[in-house]
Amino acid sequence: MDEDPVAVTAEDGAAEIPAPQPALPLAPRSFESKDVQRLAPEYVSLQRAVGWIQTASVSACALATVGIVWLTRDIPWIGKLLLFPGWVLVTLGVGWLSYAWPAVHYRHVSYTLDDEGIEIRTGVWWRQVMSVPRSRVQHIDVSQGPMERSYGLGRLVLYTAGTNHSRVELAGLNHAVALGLRNHLLPRGSDDAV
Amino acid sequence: MPSERRLHPLSFVFVIGGQIRQLVGPALVVLIGAGSAGLDWQAWAMVFVIPYALVALLKTLSFRYRFDAGEMVITTGFVFRNQRHVPYGRIQNIDAVQHVLHRLLRVVDVRVETGGGDEPEARMRVLPIAALEEMREQVLAGRAAKAGQPGEAVAGAPVVDVAPERRALLTLRPGELLLAGFIESRGLIIVGAAFGLLWEVGLFDSMVNVFLGENVSSRGVIRQAVGALAGGRVPSIARIAVMVLAFGAFVFAIRVLSMGWSVIRLWGFQLYRVGDDLGTEFGLFTRVMATIPLRRIQTVTVRETPLHRVFKTASIRVDSAGSDGAEGGAAKRESLAPIVKRADLQRVLGEVLPDVDLPSLTWSPVDPRGFGRALRSSLVLVALLTLPFIAMLRWWTFAWMAVLVAWASVHAWLYVKHLGWAVGDQAVVFRSGYLWRELTVARFNKIQAVTLSESPFDRRARMASVRVDTAGAGDASHRVDIPYLARPTADDLYRQLSGEAARTAFRW
Repeated sequence: MDEDPVAVTAEDGAAEIPAPQPALPLAPRSFESKDVQRLAPEYVSLQRAVGWIQTASVSACALATVGIVWLTRDIPWIGKLLLFPGWVLVTLGVGWLSYAWPAVHYRHVSYTLDDEGIEIRTGVWWRQVMSVPRSRVQHIDVSQGPMERSYGLGRLVLYTAGTNHSRVELAGLNHAVALGLRNHLLPRGSDDAV
Repeated sequence: MPSERRLHPLSFVFVIGGQIRQLVGPALVVLIGAGSAGLDWQAWAMVFVIPYALVALLKTLSFRYRFDAGEMVITTGFVFRNQRHVPYGRIQNIDAVQHVLHRLLRVVDVRVETGGGDEPEARMRVLPIAALEEMREQVLAGRAAKAGQPGEAVAGAPVVDVAPERRALLTLRPGELLLAGFIESRGLIIVGAAFGLLWEVGLFDSMVNVFLGENVSSRGVIRQAVGALAGGRVPSIARIAVMVLAFGAFVFAIRVLSMGWSVIRLWGFQLYRVGDDLGTEFGLFTRVMATIPLRRIQTVTVRETPLHRVFKTASIRVDSAGSDGAEGGAAKRESLAPIVKRADLQRVLGEVLPDVDLPSLTWSPVDPRGFGRALRSSLVLVALLTLPFIAMLRWWTFAWMAVLVAWASVHAWLYVKHLGWAVGDQAVVFRSGYLWRELTVARFNKIQAVTLSESPFDRRARMASVRVDTAGAGDASHRVDIPYLARPTADDLYRQLSGEAARTAFRW
């Protein structure tokens, strides 16, 4: 049992990873505040890091295409020279997007917790507010990929019996916060008789 | 801290066995292919399956579970770690499967299911038999500890031994079944198949030849007619007559077949109530008897097609989700009443939804500015529809456009006018459609999640739509999804619905 690194309770997690937002109520099952909570700021860095990797691979693919066209197609030299500015533009464009978008996304995601359940806001263009009552939560996952672990982040997945929203995901939470949220949202008392 | 359990040490045998079984098919293909042409790229493709199997194996090796006070905790993964908490009260089924090999090795393949999601919440491949016993005990004990309060009896507790009487709510006579078949027109599929067959065999061509007395293929007839229209020439009267007649005969045949099918399928239809269950019974050759517990009904939809209105009838469907036996919360859409007279509608609905008083609801319209937005979106559709005709600009292109624009305006106006919603004491109701009208009732305690969404167009007009998610809805189901609400109204409705949902308890 000791060799299993995942088996941390909420308290353990809180002790291991210092929460960046001290105002956030971490004590499980007693979220009094109705304040709007944000994701962990590290999520922006994580998404940017993922973005760099994507930019690099897109750029490499574009460069390979340019190379193949340069070597195999019989086009005028002026056309060939124009290929490289095109490649630079694509790389810069994708790079700028993967730098700027995570911050925009971060500004538009938030959640509110109260005794009745959780409310999640998402979407930059198509915005959505979703309310999931605690009495409808069937079970909950908290998961962590390798990149998320290096940033101390985790993702919370709520499962309901619904059709369109049978799986409600909230990524980019501080791992300890995700554990706290889970403890708060898990059904308790007599309201969950099946 | 409660101790952790692992899978049976021999689990890897079953995991790899499962992988191999999946590979047998492709492997045979490869071997047969290789027999003739030597080992090819297909053989190399098999190599890519190995990492997949390795991942499955790692997942099995990392699998741990433990029994906490109120929930079962399952952790998986070395690299992508996942921790799942399943409350005992939510567990509906613990299924155990034992094949021959399982029995030889004294292990079981266990699946733990709750109502959420499509797959089992936990699959333990494989556990020692003692562990299964322990799990059943733990889950039962955990549930008992929760449902301890007196008065909060477990749902589905045996009713007092007076056998509840069976009360018929709706009995359909053959005449009504014929009408139901005429309105619903299910024969379309049969006729479509028959039509395709005739077409393929060429019978259709010879039929046309008989009627027209000339030797043309029917594809030619239709092509000629379309070509004549596009070319501005008037097709011959005989051609038009044949086409109209054929179409009429086609529609008539569909209806007749549908009526026959409806009588056979729904013969002796009865909707009845026994205690807290609804039951339906019907069928001439295949006698179907279905039971729907009232508490399993997630939403109720009343549908009125134009023909329904002509005959002053409607049909009722329900979305139900059950947890009976192995079905584990499987969604079902059931026709509760294929046809019901308008005079009986409220009585039947009153039995299906005892605590929702539909006639006394006060309906609210959507925002009147919705008309402008609906009009704009139908004009976009018109533009797309007329685009191909721009190329062959003729006098009638403009007439065509004018007709479509007029239709778009009328459609938008009627559509928005017939949208309506109402909130009662126990449920939210939404209706839409002007030719094909549908009305859906979702009770608060069946609401799983409430969403308020704003598209960029919504934001420009300061509007929003409110949607209610329920269990067991099909893809084509009519849902409570109210568009074109003024933002403050939408906010209030969203708050009210999510509040009501949170205050009620959900039961399967």
